[in-house]
Amino acid sequence: MKVVGARLPRYDGVGHVTGRTTYVDDVRLPGMLHAAALRSPHHHARITHLDTSAAEAMAGVHAVITHADVPLLVYGHLSGAGIPGDEPLLAKDHARYRGQPIALVAADTVDIARAACAAIDVGYEELPALFDVRLAFDDDAPVINDTFGNWYDQYEGNLDVRQIRKGDIEAAFDAADLIVSGVYRTQSQEQVPLETQVCVAVPEPDGRLTIHTCTQAMYFSLGVVCSHLQLPMSQVKMEGGTVGGGFGGKVDTASDTLTALAAQKTERPVKWRWTRSEEMLASGNRGPWHMEIIDAVSSDGWILGRKMLTIHDAGAYGRFSVYGVTKHSFHHTGAYTIPNLHFDGYVVFTNRIPTTAMRGYGITGLSTAIEVHAERVARELGMDPYEFRLKNANRVNDTSPNRIPYEDPSTVEVMQSLASATGSEMSGDLRAMTRDQRSGDMLPDHLVAQIGSGGH
Amino acid sequence: MELTVNSVARTVQSPPLTSLLTVLREELDITSPKAGCESGGCGACTVLVDGQPRRSCLTALCAVDGSEVVTVEGLGSPEDLSRVQQAFIHHYAAQCGFCSDGMVVAATAYINAGGSDDTGAIREALAGHFCRCTGYVKILEAVAAAARGDELDTDSTASSANNTYVTISAGGQP
Repeated sequence: MKVVGARLPRYDGVGHVTGRTTYVDDVRLPGMLHAAALRSPHHHARITHLDTSAAEAMAGVHAVITHADVPLLVYGHLSGAGIPGDEPLLAKDHARYRGQPIALVAADTVDIARAACAAIDVGYEELPALFDVRLAFDDDAPVINDTFGNWYDQYEGNLDVRQIRKGDIEAAFDAADLIVSGVYRTQSQEQVPLETQVCVAVPEPDGRLTIHTCTQAMYFSLGVVCSHLQLPMSQVKMEGGTVGGGFGGKVDTASDTLTALAAQKTERPVKWRWTRSEEMLASGNRGPWHMEIIDAVSSDGWILGRKMLTIHDAGAYGRFSVYGVTKHSFHHTGAYTIPNLHFDGYVVFTNRIPTTAMRGYGITGLSTAIEVHAERVARELGMDPYEFRLKNANRVNDTSPNRIPYEDPSTVEVMQSLASATGSEMSGDLRAMTRDQRSGDMLPDHLVAQIGSGGH
Repeated sequence: MELTVNSVARTVQSPPLTSLLTVLREELDITSPKAGCESGGCGACTVLVDGQPRRSCLTALCAVDGSEVVTVEGLGSPEDLSRVQQAFIHHYAAQCGFCSDGMVVAATAYINAGGSDDTGAIREALAGHFCRCTGYVKILEAVAAAARGDELDTDSTASSANNTYVTISAGGQP
């Protein structure tokens, strides 16, 4: 036990503070080409023609990659989990968000590559764009996603909504002394790692590819690259793990696949480093969430039931959003135990950047909504917000919305610590509460049936 | 044009309006200054030009002809760490490390100019240097420790004074 509890230095600390750590952009190789992308200037458009001949004829240009060069154009981030792919690696007939890549140029310098992108002749027919998830369900809404329509429709095979049904929601609302409803909307957020998306792909003499990657998920990205390129995994070596910040924004394999294609086509090492503007414009970000909560509450401060509607803005393509909404549904009661639930969650497509993971995927905005709502309910009841939270706090063997018994819930201790840290008043009764399985005053009749087993 | 980079005289061939960042990274293969934003916004490309911290991405080569340039590689080596580098290791101030090169350079300039361990003064000196990992607390602690001249052990990591009040014990009472 030399390591547990010891205050050891980082294994990479010396490299980080002496400029010796090699990030992807620091990889130097002889003969390396540089890439740049042509991206859609429109939020939603039909691509009427695409002519790369002028760009290909430019001095210093070695390859122009379009949709026609991709062995498997459409692949889904969750294809491995049975969720159909919907996103082309490069736009073919439609551009569905501003910044969507249409072509990649590999050239002697970045400047030549950018000039060649400008020389590509693209015709667009602009289409009406959709940005507000609430309008996606209207009959006259533009259709955004040609695989799923305007919202994902294949949960459990054929459901168009992620549902949670637990207990008897109608009985809970019939028994309520107070009903409190609220609508909460959180905005999109870019992760802003200081290192932008970057890749160096190297064709090896034996025909394999080495990919210097900034991915947060090496084996996942290996699968994405090999699927699009239709290569066995034995033909691709991912070299990574040194990431200049990700925060969820580097799980989407944003640059590896296209850089690898360019390396294959040119038989030269190729680097593609996004500019900061591209990172902000076109890399996956935390999506906006629209959340409507209606709670049935008793006058003595129990949350008897919750109805919730969530509309998640996935952006133009699905990526991980179905996973995000599912995780969101499992957590929609937050740190509190509510025995009767009716939850509907939709993944809706808009003409925004496709959204992805960021620090508590599906949960962070939800926690904001739940805590603001809890505060409002307590005020409506005229009850101390700490007392309200601590009564309803998850305890050992309370069950989550998806009926998993909590083995180690920490809500009680977190609330007590918060009160101490902020110097808030907290009564002795509340200070004495523990996470132990409910009994006595903390186990009213309506919470008996939801108790599970398996905790301690 | 002529530059002295990390005590070595260099003749460089890049065109005069090339950014110092590009000269260092692409012509001289000195990769510690990072291209975080290439618009002066993030601080990851900071180097010393005649002792002063400068955003190398916004500095044209022709403006530094004849100057002495120091990058983080020139401040210390793994075998001979500077005081600021030791403090960044001991106080866990480098996380992903991408901002650290610029941070260490700026902190060194601050301390060389006689900067104290005053948190407000350190914040001002490091203003405009973005870090997305640490939340800055450990960076401020490291720079203060270096400014004070604390004895620093790079084989262990300090506990953060700012972590104590959120410690949660399993029994209930914090």
